[in-house]
Amino acid sequence: MTAWSFLGSKTLRKDSLAKVSGALKFTNDLEVPGMLIGRIFRSPYAFADVKRINKERAERLGAVVITPDDVPQKLYNPRLVSVHEVTFKDHQVLTKRPRFVGDPIAAVAASSEELAQRALELLEVEFENIRKPILDPFEAMSPDAPPIHERIMKGDKWVEVKNNVGAELTYSEGDVDEAFKKADVVIERFFKTGRRYHMQLEPKAVLCVPHTDGSITIYTTTQTIHNTRILVSQIFDLPESKVNVVKVPIGGSFGSSIQTNVIVPIAVALCLKARKPVKIALTREEDMYDHVGFSMHFRIKAGATKEGFLIGGEFENIIDIGAHQVQPYPLLGTSLGWFVSLYKWRNIRYVGRAVYTNKVPGCAIRGYGAPEVTWAVETIVDELAEELKIDPLEFRLRNYVGKGDIFWGQGPTVRSVIKSDGVPELLKEGSELIGWSSRGRPEDKKGRFRRGIGVGRGFHTSGAGGPISGEVIDYSGAVLKVNEDGSIDYITALQDHGGGTLDAHVKIIAEALGVPPELINVVWSDTSTTPYDVCTHASRGTYVGGAAALKAAEIVKQKIFEYAVRVLGRVVNPEALKIRYDRELKQAVIYVEGNPDLKITLKELATIAWQRNWGTIAAVVTHRATSAPPSFTVWFVEVEVDTYTGKVRPVRVVAGADIGTVINKDLAEGQLHGGFAMGWGMAVAEDTPYNPTTGELLCRGFITDYKIVTAQDMPKVEDFKVLFAETYEPTGPFGAKGLGEAASNPVAAAVANAIANAIGVRFYELPITPDKILKALKERGEWFE
Amino acid sequence: MSEVRPVPLNLRNSRILPIRFEYYEPTSLDEALELLDKLGEEAKVLAGGTDLIVKMKMRALEPKHLINLKRIPNLNYIVSDSESIRIGALTTWSDLEKSDIVKNELPALYDAVKAMGSLQIRNMATLGGNICNASPAADSAPPLLVYDAKVKVVSKQGVRVIPLTEFFLGPGVTALRSNEVLTEVVIDKHNVSVGSAFVKISRVATDLAIASAAVMIKLKDGILEDVKIALGSVAPTPVRAKSLEAALVGRPAKLEEVKQYLNLLEKDIKPIDDVRGTAWYRREVSKVLVYDAFLKALNRLGGCSL
Ligand SMILES: Cc1cc2nc3c(=O)[nH]c(=O)nc-3n(C[C@H](O)[C@H](O)[C@H](O)COP(=O)(O)OP(=O)(O)OC[C@H]3O[C@@H](n4cnc5c(N)ncnc54)[C@H](O)[C@@H]3O)c2cc1C
Repeated sequence: MTAWSFLGSKTLRKDSLAKVSGALKFTNDLEVPGMLIGRIFRSPYAFADVKRINKERAERLGAVVITPDDVPQKLYNPRLVSVHEVTFKDHQVLTKRPRFVGDPIAAVAASSEELAQRALELLEVEFENIRKPILDPFEAMSPDAPPIHERIMKGDKWVEVKNNVGAELTYSEGDVDEAFKKADVVIERFFKTGRRYHMQLEPKAVLCVPHTDGSITIYTTTQTIHNTRILVSQIFDLPESKVNVVKVPIGGSFGSSIQTNVIVPIAVALCLKARKPVKIALTREEDMYDHVGFSMHFRIKAGATKEGFLIGGEFENIIDIGAHQVQPYPLLGTSLGWFVSLYKWRNIRYVGRAVYTNKVPGCAIRGYGAPEVTWAVETIVDELAEELKIDPLEFRLRNYVGKGDIFWGQGPTVRSVIKSDGVPELLKEGSELIGWSSRGRPEDKKGRFRRGIGVGRGFHTSGAGGPISGEVIDYSGAVLKVNEDGSIDYITALQDHGGGTLDAHVKIIAEALGVPPELINVVWSDTSTTPYDVCTHASRGTYVGGAAALKAAEIVKQKIFEYAVRVLGRVVNPEALKIRYDRELKQAVIYVEGNPDLKITLKELATIAWQRNWGTIAAVVTHRATSAPPSFTVWFVEVEVDTYTGKVRPVRVVAGADIGTVINKDLAEGQLHGGFAMGWGMAVAEDTPYNPTTGELLCRGFITDYKIVTAQDMPKVEDFKVLFAETYEPTGPFGAKGLGEAASNPVAAAVANAIANAIGVRFYELPITPDKILKALKERGEWFE
Repeated sequence: MSEVRPVPLNLRNSRILPIRFEYYEPTSLDEALELLDKLGEEAKVLAGGTDLIVKMKMRALEPKHLINLKRIPNLNYIVSDSESIRIGALTTWSDLEKSDIVKNELPALYDAVKAMGSLQIRNMATLGGNICNASPAADSAPPLLVYDAKVKVVSKQGVRVIPLTEFFLGPGVTALRSNEVLTEVVIDKHNVSVGSAFVKISRVATDLAIASAAVMIKLKDGILEDVKIALGSVAPTPVRAKSLEAALVGRPAKLEEVKQYLNLLEKDIKPIDDVRGTAWYRREVSKVLVYDAFLKALNRLGGCSL
């Protein structure tokens, strides 16, 4: 192991004091003089057309009002991640054809929230063609279902929507039918996941400020300031140089702001009409009507030989995308990517369909389909192992995609080869810690409270890079400059969702240059001062963004050495120099190995460079990763099922993660704890059912009825063990890989497998609520009466 | 026209109170009663606001007048004398939690306090509000029902004392008249036993009950001399399980005995499907909850006989 100066050590997060003291300003905290407050008129119907809008009364109140007639008539997709030709567009800034309860139809802005609310209530909107909502994707695909959208755009071309299928992807490799014939065991299962709401701490908000030269500045909740700028520029025909999007701290995201939020163009339209700053902040209930995750329906058929090798996998994936597309097309690709990169199926057939329903649009939610696919695959793999009487861990080891294998988690166009793999180590250590071998068989378990141990294994990619430019955009940038006292300004467009991504970057820069983190300033930058970064998504923040920072640091280091040669007269060339952190001086020192007298601190050097007019040491880089290596995670979970009430409780957890070099250990552990909570909620609690006649969310958007698990529902801290594999990713910055999504992906799988081990019942529909468990036990004639 | 009804989501705004109303802060009970008498049906009294304000933001209630009771002194107390325990209507759940009287003498109510809401909610929410809000899921109701509590309600016209069993009339509907304020909960000590407990099942911690149950028992020579059972969230109001109670009085205090009669519960409850759970699940789990509460109550009497 390398002895790092900063990597792996505990340091104070840069934003921690501002966060704990409440000083940090999120978008909704921002105020500018003359600012108006915007409110959005949302469709009260799930499937209807607007006949007439009368805005007179609202305007008489002094409000600025916009309707579909006041905004650009363009279709767009809020998320820019796929290349243009495969970007499907059906959103409008405001619509006359609302397709879910909550679809924005008009908006008002007034000097206060109260006034804006009154204006909103004075809008008179008449509807026609009010139809019963279609809430089930299979119903939507039936030939007599009315079309939710007739035509949408794919890139620049119009396409007809058939059977409400918004996008489709098929793929095959080898001969699956032949493989199933040869297989000794074939099983086929149907799965259905819940449609979860992200419940990020901060409901979405936007503030748009106009300037006299026609330019605008936007402050908003986003994972990507550059894509927000590009989209606004496209919709409003403004040059990008006239749209500046400022990075504002965000209160968590989990994918909810992976797209440009639809409130952004609405605020821009209001702002352009009012010629005043406009702020829109969603209430929690509106936020839940703005976005949820996707729900997925799978059919998986898998075949294996009696020797314990998989030989065929068939995968049908129907995604309930809701009323509009927030890039479900790449999700069709990643779903397949997760499937093929979990295990070597050898023969594969896939069909994926993204289907419209009259529901809140689905967008990415932590893992982008991986938690769902992993749950289904890990269930099937467990069942195959049981059937073949092979230890499920052994079966996994024999079949998983690991070191040396071709890997394309992010879909067929993003391929690379795996170079680091901690799976065997994590399976071994984790199973010992949890007591895998003594987990017992469900049929031997008796009594009211039954415990079970389950495993869930999976991964996430680190970004979506690769050697070839596929259908996905993925690159990043960084600016680094050495100030006149040797301290450093780091400027990046990359957003930190609150997980400490930028603290990881700081450590990477610190490690490269020997400058302590306290002397590195992360600039709250904007689109006008930063090179492009696609988005903080796909667990790429550390791996891609950190690599960009490192690349800039390496250039800066070279320039430092060039200047240092001028000062340290006797040195032959810059290659002779090194830089390191000096613990006593608490700063970076440039030195020559074996010559203790030949050295200078970076502070001294920077000052000399300034005083002698040598110029600023700085670097601007853009970075494309040529790989998207998997970060593997292996979860072991012990649960206890109360067979009288059907309630499940987590008892013990072993979270194993292979993320290469661990840059911030405590923050990485935090990701795993949070990942567990989210996965547990997915497994046992979360879904957003609808009222079948009105298309209203049954919880009505209220968190009193959309329940996420709380700290009290978690295992005790001492019963939660975290393991990090001893791996090094040669393509990553200092050997690091990503974590954000891998931290959660296999959790629901492990929980479901643990429940099966406790009571011998498998559930194919999430969430596994107490009533489902009780019903299953009663059907087996097993209850306390 | 179609039968599809519009969803009132444009009326909701939880960041503000999206309705207009007059606000009053009386500093005495008389002043409050005077106001209520004058303003009638269009007025609502405000205690902790943890139910009322939520309903106003949801536009489920649009009172024209809001009368805050929290400035009225002496409505926040827990006192115990030889005959009874009396609790003021404005006593918060956090006050109940800190009270030794509640902890030692009313263990079922104490269980409910421990299972109620979060710290922030317990700091704001009052006992009177929980009762007057009359949710079938009100956590204080099953314990108070098994203790045969009465509530004191006051108006300009005078005082009424109403047994809790007659107070709840339907979801959100009580025997309270529009000019009345609930001032006190009274529990007769003869109706109390340490052999009492409350249990609750909810989707996650910090949540309203899917179903809940309280049990109070008194024993004589191993025989159930007195049995009170009440359930929450399984009927339009919190309910007493009178059929099951009647069957159990005079039987041996054994869990196996209790188990045999649990099906009688079906006569006493009328569960429905809602966001928190299904009617089927509620029916099944009520039996388990009563069983568990029984076990807990028996244990509190110094040991159970299984
Ligand atoms: C997040 C959250 C979690 C919750 N969890 C729980 C839980 O676990 N269990 C549970 O039982 N409840 C729960 N509640 C509901 C609520 O907190 C309780 O019912 C609480 O006790 C209500 O008291 P309050 O003082 O806030 O009442 P308020 O909201 O002030 O009033 C409620 C109603 O009672 C009337 N009222 C209040 N006081 C009087 C009085 N003295 N005389 C006449 N009428 C009166 C009001 O006019 C109003 O109609 C929760 C609420 C929230 C928001």
